[in-house]
Amino acid sequence: MSSAAPDRSHNVVAIRNLGIERAPGFFVVIEELDLHAGETIVLDAVSGAGKSTALGLIAGALPVAAFPDTRHEIAGVAVTGDTPRADYAGPDRMGFVLQTNTLVPYLSLQENIELPVRVAGQQVDAEWQDHLIRAMGLGDFRARKPGQLSVGQRQRVSVARALLGRPAVLLLDEPVSALDPANVAEVEALIVHLAAEAGSAVVLASHQAQSGEFAHTPRADHRILNHQGQSYSIFSTKGRAAARVA
Amino acid sequence: MMRIPVTLALRELRHDWQAALCFIAALAGVLGPLLIVLALKNGVIGTMVGRLIEDPSNREILAIGAGAHDAAFFAALGVRQDVGFVVPATRSINTSANAVRNEASRKLERAVPLIPSAAGDPLISGAPVAPGQVWISDALAQDLSAGAGDTLDMIIGREVDGQRENARRDLQVIGVVPAEIWPRAAVFLSVPDLLAVERFRDDLSATPANWTEPVAEPESYASFRLYARSLDDIGNLAAHLSDLGVQSRPRAENAALLLSFRRNLNILFTAIAALAMFGFWAAMSANLRGMVERQRVIFSLYSMLTMPDRQRCLIPVVQSLALVLVGVMATVILILPFLVAINAVFDSVPGESVARLYAGDILATLVLGAVTAVTAAVWAVVAVRNVDPQEVLTHA
Repeated sequence: MSSAAPDRSHNVVAIRNLGIERAPGFFVVIEELDLHAGETIVLDAVSGAGKSTALGLIAGALPVAAFPDTRHEIAGVAVTGDTPRADYAGPDRMGFVLQTNTLVPYLSLQENIELPVRVAGQQVDAEWQDHLIRAMGLGDFRARKPGQLSVGQRQRVSVARALLGRPAVLLLDEPVSALDPANVAEVEALIVHLAAEAGSAVVLASHQAQSGEFAHTPRADHRILNHQGQSYSIFSTKGRAAARVA
Repeated sequence: MMRIPVTLALRELRHDWQAALCFIAALAGVLGPLLIVLALKNGVIGTMVGRLIEDPSNREILAIGAGAHDAAFFAALGVRQDVGFVVPATRSINTSANAVRNEASRKLERAVPLIPSAAGDPLISGAPVAPGQVWISDALAQDLSAGAGDTLDMIIGREVDGQRENARRDLQVIGVVPAEIWPRAAVFLSVPDLLAVERFRDDLSATPANWTEPVAEPESYASFRLYARSLDDIGNLAAHLSDLGVQSRPRAENAALLLSFRRNLNILFTAIAALAMFGFWAAMSANLRGMVERQRVIFSLYSMLTMPDRQRCLIPVVQSLALVLVGVMATVILILPFLVAINAVFDSVPGESVARLYAGDILATLVLGAVTAVTAAVWAVVAVRNVDPQEVLTHA
């Protein structure tokens, strides 16, 4: 665990040529991604293009392929295969809302939300936690286990878990996919609002962001490049400004 | 920081209590019969065979026929490492008192064997005999309604010129030899008292008035009471006597057999226990590995949430330890009624049990269980180390 506070004065995400061979001959690559604190970018591409994979790459959770001039920094920490995860993925640096909304089945809602902060050995900001839980409409379910929650509630628990440490960057993988359409706009608005309160930069992977809160948020470019029998699915923010949400 | 993995490990067990219960039941299934066998081994071997082995009579070496053993003979035996106890005897068969009477109860017992004793007599657990102070066997104590602290009247008779002449002596009883040590009537008395008895019978210069006065030791004794220090020493000691030209035989021919019986049973039990523990270890190993497989996504999530490897790896170890320790305790509680029932069915000597489990056995089982638990978790630990954060991203 890195004890120093995350550096938010510069880019909280700075990535060049970071990629992975997802299947034989098929690469997912982030060519360029720069985000400052409070900025938001959407990875919007067809299903199978590798949006979730791109988030996994940013999160440093995937084994990367060897590309020239690779650069990968989260909150000022260079991420390499040797960097301890805690140095760049602790709760004050990175929050990740998984598409699968995986929660620990034997911990209560509140304990699940606290888990990353506890694992990092940090103090839980009780006031901020209470604010998150209430804002997400989970105030009455704190003691419930994930098995006693609806899919939508679990998704909201995942968001609260990701935001409790006020991360420098918040990675969202289809965070509203399990919600009924009536709630999508509300929860998206909440995410935008709470991420702004936390001062987090946001990377959203979604195929249903054409409407709702993220409809007008800048997209990363996405293109497919076929070269020498290999296929590259490339995301890039080159020449694009991200949205300043706050 | 180790609090979190411990908490998570125990919370998971509580959450998945049915699986944990199955696991504990499986442990009890293996350990229960094993502990019952151990209890039987303790009871039968430790207590019953042990009693036979510990019975000092089994260490006695009997002289065959009468000999002439001088002071040097006894002095040399006395310093040998393989000798537990030796005392001279005046005859090759026991001398008898014509009668022993308890004045208080007005009871009298005729022809009571007199057995020489001394300090260190393995049949006597208390103050040694001294002139005028004796131990009596339980059988004699019953016959005379006498006990420690009572005074008995010993009557020694002889015939002089066709006239019957009796000598008397007061003997203070200082202890009773239990029936399991000496089942028949007997008086254990000091060598000087025994010599006095022999003198009164053999020497006309001894009179009923002066017969108890101290006399010079004889040049040699006809026999002895000899006990080896342990069962293992009997063979050596008998060979030594044979070298000296003294014919002897052990009182208990099969004592050595008992010794090897106990040794073999111990080996047998250890082998059974080792086999059972290995089987349990293998089952435990596979079970823990299976638990990791079921919780793969959660372990991946922990990794994603930056939990260090050593903390993640602690989880199956803690679970393994908790399951085994609870399993051992549950097994002990479960088998206690069986042990009580077994002891009730095979009613034995009071104070002895057919099935017996010691606190040390339970402690050893716990320690062995803990070692088994930790080593059985190795496979699971390796599996946990191989779970990386990407699995939680990709699982369906």
